[in-house]
Amino acid sequence: MITSSPRDLRSRLDFWQALSGAILALFVCVHLVLEGSVVISPEITNTIGWLMEETYVAQIAAPIIILLIVFHFWIAARKMPFRAGELEIFWDHSRALKDLDTWLWLVQVFTAVVILVGAFFHVFTVMADLPITVVESSKRLHMGWWLFYVLFLPCTILHTGIGIYRIGVKFGIIDKARRIFWRKVIWAAMACYLALGICALTRVWLIGY
Amino acid sequence: MGRMLTFEIFRYNPADPASKPHLQTYTLEEQPSMTLFIALNRIREEQDPTLQFDFCCRAGICGSCGMVINGKPGLACHTQTADLPDRITLYPLPVFKLLGDLSVDTGVWFRDVGKKIESWIHTNVQFDPKAQEERMDNELSLKIFELDRCVECGCCVAACGTARMKEDFIGATAINRLARFYIDPRDKRDAADFYDLVGNDQGVFGCMGLLACDNVCPKQIPLHDQLGIMRRMVTLESVKAIIPEFVRKKLMGCKSIKA
Repeated sequence: MITSSPRDLRSRLDFWQALSGAILALFVCVHLVLEGSVVISPEITNTIGWLMEETYVAQIAAPIIILLIVFHFWIAARKMPFRAGELEIFWDHSRALKDLDTWLWLVQVFTAVVILVGAFFHVFTVMADLPITVVESSKRLHMGWWLFYVLFLPCTILHTGIGIYRIGVKFGIIDKARRIFWRKVIWAAMACYLALGICALTRVWLIGY
Repeated sequence: MGRMLTFEIFRYNPADPASKPHLQTYTLEEQPSMTLFIALNRIREEQDPTLQFDFCCRAGICGSCGMVINGKPGLACHTQTADLPDRITLYPLPVFKLLGDLSVDTGVWFRDVGKKIESWIHTNVQFDPKAQEERMDNELSLKIFELDRCVECGCCVAACGTARMKEDFIGATAINRLARFYIDPRDKRDAADFYDLVGNDQGVFGCMGLLACDNVCPKQIPLHDQLGIMRRMVTLESVKAIIPEFVRKKLMGCKSIKA
């Protein structure tokens, strides 16, 4: 049974922020694994790309993901240090405190801006140049897009990893007793994803256009 | 002979128009088992009687001697100089009203926030002075006591990036205080009542999970665990109309929905 609630949309922003973040994190994890399949064989990646296009998953999911990123950013931005003096206060505070978790929030703010802009270019260049194939990807890398991915990939992984950790902490899923363990697990997962992403980029680059 | 310690201490008297904020340097020979509290008292007694700082119990109970020690908020009486480098920089706790030098007024801030979160037992049970006090399960009373250990020193607030940026954020200490009433069976408030008090960006939703509150708490209170419980409870209350009741109860985890 669903009970009525007097709560308005604004009071649910935190819920939507966490939910949209969790969905995007899941998407990034799956996306990077599928992309990483190129390390095993480009044929597998091409088949996945073909399947995504034939079933219209790619065409439907791409704009939804972009909208979800914009939505997530819009909600989370209410906490970002955009107001005059806020960034300076936070920066000075982080420098004085020397607390890793406080620094990581600044990393999240920076990577959020990179992802917001980068995701648009990433999706646009891929979707404007269908079909999705490894050769097309290699072509783009050799055109100079490798530089973009060198920044975009670690930013996406960092934002996702720190974001998952922070959701866990904020909602009491990761408590104090298990915090160090989960922090290690998440850093290890981020390292694995980064290694997979670098291997995938190298593999695509070596195909050579 | 002990180390020669150099103290750089923030000096400013807001009541004196001629006073300008600056750092003043003092040197002092380190003694065995010396705390910052002892060092500051010696500086005041031997070198500068005008130096202002607060203290009362010297045992980490009163929470008066909170200050920023080499960038990190902490209690002067709890901090051994042996754990610090030769050069020690001391600032007053930010966020709170500065009274002078290292002395701040945490009382007004805590009173205001206490009023905001209605930091008292809410009950409609008529008090009977002749009746025996209602018994409480020992395990539960220990849990409440654990949260009541907060000495309101303000270190967690000073270490919180959100509180530094947003003046109206109530901080981990206030949410911890509310969590204490949440688990107290004598308090008859339900999730909706708690939601009304802290279900906004000035309350639990304002917390960005920076964890510094937890890392600096001199009493090692698991502040963020309480924040997590309260946030989950209040968030689930905010989506009452969206998520079915049995799912909400499941997601609430260890805490049951009151009333």
